[in-house]
Amino acid sequence: MARALRFRFSRDERLKYIAHLDVLRLFERAIKRAGLPVAYTQGFNPRQKIVFGLPIAVGLTSSAEYADIEFDEEMTPESFISRINQSLPEGIEVMEAVPVRNMGRIMSLIASARYEIAFTIPQAMDQDTLSGIVIDFLDQEDITVMKKTKKGMRPVNIRPLIYSLSVRKPDGDGYIMEAFLSAGAENNLRPDLLMQAFAQKTGLELTVESIHRRAMFASDFNEWKSPLEVADD
Amino acid sequence: MEVWDARSILLKMMRVKLDDKLLLQIEKPAKYTGNEWNMVRKDPDAVQVRFAFAFPDDYEIGMSHLGMKILYHTMNKREDTYCERVFAPWVDMERLMRERGIPLYALETYTPLSEFDIIGFTLQYEMSYTNILNMLDLGGVPVLAKDRDESHPFVCAGGPCAVNPEPLADFIDFFVIGEGEEVIHEIIDAYKEWKSSGGNRAAFLEQVAGIEGVYVPSLYEVIYYDDGTILDILPKSEKVPDVVRRRVVRDLDQVDFPDDIIVPYIGTVHDRIMLELFRGCIRGCRFCQAGFIYRPVRERSPEKLNELARSSVRKTGYEEISLVSLSTSDYSALPAFCDELLAFTEKEHVNLSLPSLRVDNFSLGLMERASKIRKSGLTFAPEAGTQRLRDVINKGVTDEDLKSSVQLAVAGGWNSVKLYFMLGLPTETMEDVDGIADMGISLVESCRGIADKNGGSLQITLSTSCFVPKPFTPFQWEPMDDIETLTEKQHHLKDRIRRRTRKIVYHYHNPRISHMEAVLARGDRRLGKVIYTAWKMGARFDGWDEHFSFERWQEAFRANGLDSAFYANRRRDFSEVLPWDHIDIGVTKEFLIRECRKAYEGDLTRNCASGCSHCGATVYGAGICFKQKKNQDQAGG
Repeated sequence: MARALRFRFSRDERLKYIAHLDVLRLFERAIKRAGLPVAYTQGFNPRQKIVFGLPIAVGLTSSAEYADIEFDEEMTPESFISRINQSLPEGIEVMEAVPVRNMGRIMSLIASARYEIAFTIPQAMDQDTLSGIVIDFLDQEDITVMKKTKKGMRPVNIRPLIYSLSVRKPDGDGYIMEAFLSAGAENNLRPDLLMQAFAQKTGLELTVESIHRRAMFASDFNEWKSPLEVADD
Repeated sequence: MEVWDARSILLKMMRVKLDDKLLLQIEKPAKYTGNEWNMVRKDPDAVQVRFAFAFPDDYEIGMSHLGMKILYHTMNKREDTYCERVFAPWVDMERLMRERGIPLYALETYTPLSEFDIIGFTLQYEMSYTNILNMLDLGGVPVLAKDRDESHPFVCAGGPCAVNPEPLADFIDFFVIGEGEEVIHEIIDAYKEWKSSGGNRAAFLEQVAGIEGVYVPSLYEVIYYDDGTILDILPKSEKVPDVVRRRVVRDLDQVDFPDDIIVPYIGTVHDRIMLELFRGCIRGCRFCQAGFIYRPVRERSPEKLNELARSSVRKTGYEEISLVSLSTSDYSALPAFCDELLAFTEKEHVNLSLPSLRVDNFSLGLMERASKIRKSGLTFAPEAGTQRLRDVINKGVTDEDLKSSVQLAVAGGWNSVKLYFMLGLPTETMEDVDGIADMGISLVESCRGIADKNGGSLQITLSTSCFVPKPFTPFQWEPMDDIETLTEKQHHLKDRIRRRTRKIVYHYHNPRISHMEAVLARGDRRLGKVIYTAWKMGARFDGWDEHFSFERWQEAFRANGLDSAFYANRRRDFSEVLPWDHIDIGVTKEFLIRECRKAYEGDLTRNCASGCSHCGATVYGAGICFKQKKNQDQAGG
């Protein structure tokens, strides 16, 4: 039982075409439909007390989105999950929830994210060759690309924002890039920008087919932890 | 289990395939993917009638339309019918659809338009007509009604513009004149009967022509004089009526009103619950088509409305309710109703928005209570700049009313005021045009002290639209100002304002779009060729400035040997046969002529609540006419 919960939710193909703000609105309305005793802010324009971890881009699917929500009364994670899921449209689902001590810290907590990026290239290439290219790419100390920052388009070295990168070839067409990248309010590296840089620096004519956010982490004394694991902090 | 069934049905039936490469290239892809909360899911194989409700504009506009929500809900309550939605794809999507041969499809099951039984368009504004042709074409349905055979859907159309259906006669199999929620069931029943009888297309059209409110244009012949005016409009067979009477719902509490409306994922123009307080308007402003074609005024009961408000919030999760009607202040039970509604909305953190309220102490207090959002703009519609002209149009507002309303609003903390006017009203002189500027200036001056006290200055926005004479109004015979005159008036006004003050922002409409709107509004069926040519030349989204091309339309007129001024700028004689004379909306031509004459005298006509002016709408035996009559009878007996 708790007054505030942190929860993880997923988004699949069916709802990947809506923007971050649409997802926020979708949750607000689902919470209202579910009749959950959500807390509201004070003031002229009261809003539900719900805070999301990281914006979710149009086109992205995810199995690891996080948010904090506060209630006016005690709420068990089980009851929250079952009630909200009945009111959420197909394509977005709350998977787990835990009590959270400091509601709303989620935004500043997120520090890294793991992605699976499916892509194709015109000529067939075996996995070893492609892995070699990835290793060479990572060997560079400076991978400068134009990145949209708060101050407009700026050249930024994204190499320090790439924690790991590997490629695998599943059955069927195409390849999967597994990328572990810096994420969060500061130093966020978008997976599409990474792939753009990868294509640019290696000369590969690749086409990104889909991007899936596999996991998101908080940094906890030099250890990566799920935001749910640090909900007690 | 249920969810899974619905999904597998959907997958089984999905016809049109969309992929990322397409959807991530276009703006707001969620306009094309459906699957919204409260979208109706049915097994298309298990119904007898598949109906595509088509809105001939963008999803964000169409999803804001109350009429579609009502009919979608009403039709889908029937087990034998599945009503789905179709919108005009925006130009980026259309280009890709045409490139890839993707037909226009309905959002519920991704079924191409051509596979439906009936396609129903709603005609909300004339400038959407070319989108209808474009949507049919994209959906694989022959654009011209005469080219359709038994393998094609029936194409029908309704909505306010259907009161003059003639310009679309070439494209639409049948029109529904008036309110749809009852007649649609009669049409669906007739369709089922026809389908099982195995009759041909003509048989069905003849059958529906017998339903009150249904107009089948191909069953009528229009005969013209050499000068292009109409000699007569004649039914081709004895089975069809000489005059088609508009359908009216007698008791709004007895028809369905949706509380489970679809909640879009993306923001739409009116993204909220809409509660329709009443239909019709007691006012009778002489320029206003809505004021005549929805008569008589019929109210929904406050009990019903409060019940709807509660269930709508529960079923949609919306955070805002808007009270819709032509003039909210005229709802007879407004104070008591709002008290109860506000008690609910405040508790549930729901905002209440109150458009079309007359501003007085009561309504300001209401607005203050209703909307927790920062006091943004207040809108007033004096429509004309002088008392003389306001009397001509029967807009019962005085300078004093307006001044005190605005002062009240400003004192209450609203510091942005929008004023709407029309240019080109009948009998308008430059003095009246000056009056618009002068009214704005005098409001700025009279509010100076009050606004300063609140620590802000008053921002006034003046907007002028171009007056477009519409069918079934007392001004249906009037010439519209030509484009040059309107442009001159706009420039004159702009100058006059700029010379006097910087505190007024002035907006005005594109008179060329208004000119075309006027043409289509009062057109005859010869315009079908012009619309077809314009569409062939690329016209679509004509209501959008960035897509409208006046030159294209003029070329389409020339190509068909017609002149747009004949329709827009010509004065009709009272005796002339008008293209819509075979449509009867209840309000009589005699009344409209009387009102037109009174307009020239500057005589006001009382509103329906203060007494009957014998417009003819009593034939419907409903609403305010009935109430008035009962009161009079009681008083007399």
